Amino acid sequence: MADGEYAIELRGISKTFGSIKANRNINLNLKKGEILALLGENGSGKTTLMNMLSGIYAPDSGSIFVDGKKVSISSPEDSVRLGIGMVHQHFKLVEAFSCADNIWAGVLNKGILLKKDRYKEVEDFAAKFGFTVDAKKQVSLMSVSEKQTLEILKVLYNGARVIILDEPTAVLTIQETRKLFDVLRKMKEQGHSIIIITHKLNEVMEISDRVAVLRKGEYIDTVKTSETDEKKLTELMVGHKVDLNIERGELRKTTPLLEIRDLTIRGDEGSIAVEGLNFYIRGGEMLGVAGIAGSGQKELCEAIAGLRPVEKGSIVHKGKNIAGLSPKTIFAQGIAFSFIPEDRLGMGLAPSLSIVDNVILKKYKKGKGPFVDRKTGRKEAAAIVKDYEVVTPSIDTPVRRLSGGNVQKVLLGREINSSPNVIVTAYAVRGLDIHSSYMVYDILNEQKKKGVGILFVGEDLDVMMALCDKIMVMCHGRLMGVVHAAKTNKEELGLMMTGALDLTSKSGKTAGIASDSALTMEEWERGPEPAEEVDDDE
Amino acid sequence: MNNLHLVKRSGNTLVRRIVCYIVAIIISMGIGAILLSVLGINPVSYYKDMLTIGLIGNRYAYKSVEGFLKVFVPLLMVSLALALSFKMRFWNIGGEGEFLVGAMCAAAVAFNFGSLPTAALIPLMCLAAIISSGLIGLAVAFLKCRFNTNETLITLMINYIVLYGVKYFGETKADWNFFLRDDSARPIFAKFPENAEMPGIHIGAFNLLYSVIFTLILTVIIYVYLKYTKQGYEIAVVGDSSDTARYAGIKVKRVTLRTMFLSASLIGLAGAFSASASATVSSSMTNSVGWTGIVVAWLSKLSIPGIFVASILISILQYGCQAASTSYPAIDRNYADLLQGIILFAVLVSDFTVTFKIVKRKEDASK
Repeated sequence: MADGEYAIELRGISKTFGSIKANRNINLNLKKGEILALLGENGSGKTTLMNMLSGIYAPDSGSIFVDGKKVSISSPEDSVRLGIGMVHQHFKLVEAFSCADNIWAGVLNKGILLKKDRYKEVEDFAAKFGFTVDAKKQVSLMSVSEKQTLEILKVLYNGARVIILDEPTAVLTIQETRKLFDVLRKMKEQGHSIIIITHKLNEVMEISDRVAVLRKGEYIDTVKTSETDEKKLTELMVGHKVDLNIERGELRKTTPLLEIRDLTIRGDEGSIAVEGLNFYIRGGEMLGVAGIAGSGQKELCEAIAGLRPVEKGSIVHKGKNIAGLSPKTIFAQGIAFSFIPEDRLGMGLAPSLSIVDNVILKKYKKGKGPFVDRKTGRKEAAAIVKDYEVVTPSIDTPVRRLSGGNVQKVLLGREINSSPNVIVTAYAVRGLDIHSSYMVYDILNEQKKKGVGILFVGEDLDVMMALCDKIMVMCHGRLMGVVHAAKTNKEELGLMMTGALDLTSKSGKTAGIASDSALTMEEWERGPEPAEEVDDDE
Repeated sequence: MNNLHLVKRSGNTLVRRIVCYIVAIIISMGIGAILLSVLGINPVSYYKDMLTIGLIGNRYAYKSVEGFLKVFVPLLMVSLALALSFKMRFWNIGGEGEFLVGAMCAAAVAFNFGSLPTAALIPLMCLAAIISSGLIGLAVAFLKCRFNTNETLITLMINYIVLYGVKYFGETKADWNFFLRDDSARPIFAKFPENAEMPGIHIGAFNLLYSVIFTLILTVIIYVYLKYTKQGYEIAVVGDSSDTARYAGIKVKRVTLRTMFLSASLIGLAGAFSASASATVSSSMTNSVGWTGIVVAWLSKLSIPGIFVASILISILQYGCQAASTSYPAIDRNYADLLQGIILFAVLVSDFTVTFKIVKRKEDASK
């Protein structure tokens, strides 16, 4: 086992999907006991390359060496036998099984019988790596980070010496990420070799020993982390010089456009997801929403867009209450909504339909007669593809064939083309590479300049602190306070996110209520006048 | 053995697809030919008879065309109707039942209002079929929308309920049972009054039924409906993602109810056409069109022109075997079913080769 310096060596690997060359002649090596970060923009072939190591795809050409020996990996079992384990971005777990059973399901040569002592065995095994798990807990009841822990355990239990993690931090909070990195360092100490795919450069700098960069399916270079910085890495990745500063658009605020008062919303299971929330957005202002995943951000966005009933309270848009109106009416008032869920496709797009059909989604009913006006739709789709640099074979391509970043651009493009006055956007840059992320920031700043009020629900505190004007922090569905983005720091936000710091009752007046509200106190007490419902019939 | 692997194809696949399908059909007919030879039948002359549906050398060739249309029209119409609901990812597998309900309600009108002139009676029969069958579709959709029931199970069970209902009417001799012949002691379904028979345009001896013309027009209408209208667009969005539809302000329940009503009522109409064309009903009159229609709809990937072509091919196969069996007594229409099965299998396999290709892995020199 000791022969050879490299745990894994790839030589001349190529892989094509149809006409797309996902990987071209890639040479990559992973030293024993190191953490290698694999960096590249969306669609640069990182995941494809790793899937070839884990036996999901077979390379068209090239060879793979494990511990200096040439191997052929043609199935996931081969990969497990060679001691390679992968933690995928989208978890591959059986929801109805317990933690221990999920691990057992993948063990080779385990015999037919499920043994009673498997729970204890799994828990003991986990303890060796410093994990505490409940082996009897069913996956469907687990949080995202618990599921990820289970995935890592599964890989370790199968005896993996090489562990590949595909964007493991995309769904984690800062605290969870720190915990994960501790685990990774521990695994490294025990002699495991790790490949980690991530878009977050600060994480690359923090955790990795070396960084390998791919660009458009080609291998660019591998550099030592200690000898590089974020700027250099970005240049390697993008291929030209880039400015890494996020620009905060000039603030020219107007009166409150959207005012939320005393809003209570129930979640999917009927429990209170958002409670007594107060806040407002002015025109030309960007309000960030920070909070640990599942603190009510999703429910809040859905309620504003009319997709979720409001239990109590009002959502006042330009002086009229829109709470309880149909999504269509709310959209017609100029409130655009783009929510990027974890699978990036679930909400707002019809994946099998073409870009054109997705662009016309919200206005297909406009125009007289029974026919859909695709002519205008085609023009608009072509414009979005051009303006937002969407990479697609044609505007008739089904949206699900596009890569994640391009899907998001189509969605955002459609929403912004509707010339809204309020944009509610959640996780707009989820999974996007640097170039695309900056493009989204630019687009949003552009809208802000036009006087649009923006609610920006985000994950990355650094980004929000640089981009937004104010940041509102939520914890368990309650408002923890609204702070000026330029004056706050990560520690303060972190404390608020975990509920340790509550700024709402600090200064006597209730936080989140505008002093120059569009409605007078009496009008609020009487209950704001509802906006008019749009006629829904064709 | 690890050197072979699958690669997804790219580029224009339409020509390749057509070529692959033709090759698949030829291969399946080759297998069929072996079976025929075993039985001592010359496959070439059998296939000639089958593919020409008995047209050549037949003094009554027009009869063959009429017979072919009797198979083709219901199949086309049911497949189209199923495509409507399948586009919405609503698995209506109750074609058999909906077809029979339409036929029986049309028959009830025919027997009770036989004195009306044809121009009034036939539309009335069609209306009865459309409404009765459509209501069943509506009920299934309502259960789905209201209680989130499984439409596959419910439509499946409807087939059996209706089938045994028809058998009940067909086997119960009683004064109230107007479906049966009065002059027979044994229960037999009666023939429709003359006014209830589907009229047509006479071209020489050939009678081109109005139901055929109507079905062809309907094909074009459904094509336009699905592809260009707002309602068709709604069906596509609801089928793709009901969350997205809701978000776009589409009333998902209304679209579901409307589309299922349309789908079921068209199948009912096909039943009425079929009953009127043959001037009687029976429990076996569906000719399994509710099932074959599912096959046709999927084989054509829910494309309307595809459904048109696939319906013609399957009908030629079914009616051709029937026609050829007159000269080859050793073979009956079961052979058609067998051949149909082999062809379907081969086409599915060829579908795979359209999407993927098998390539050999190249080893590079840097060993």
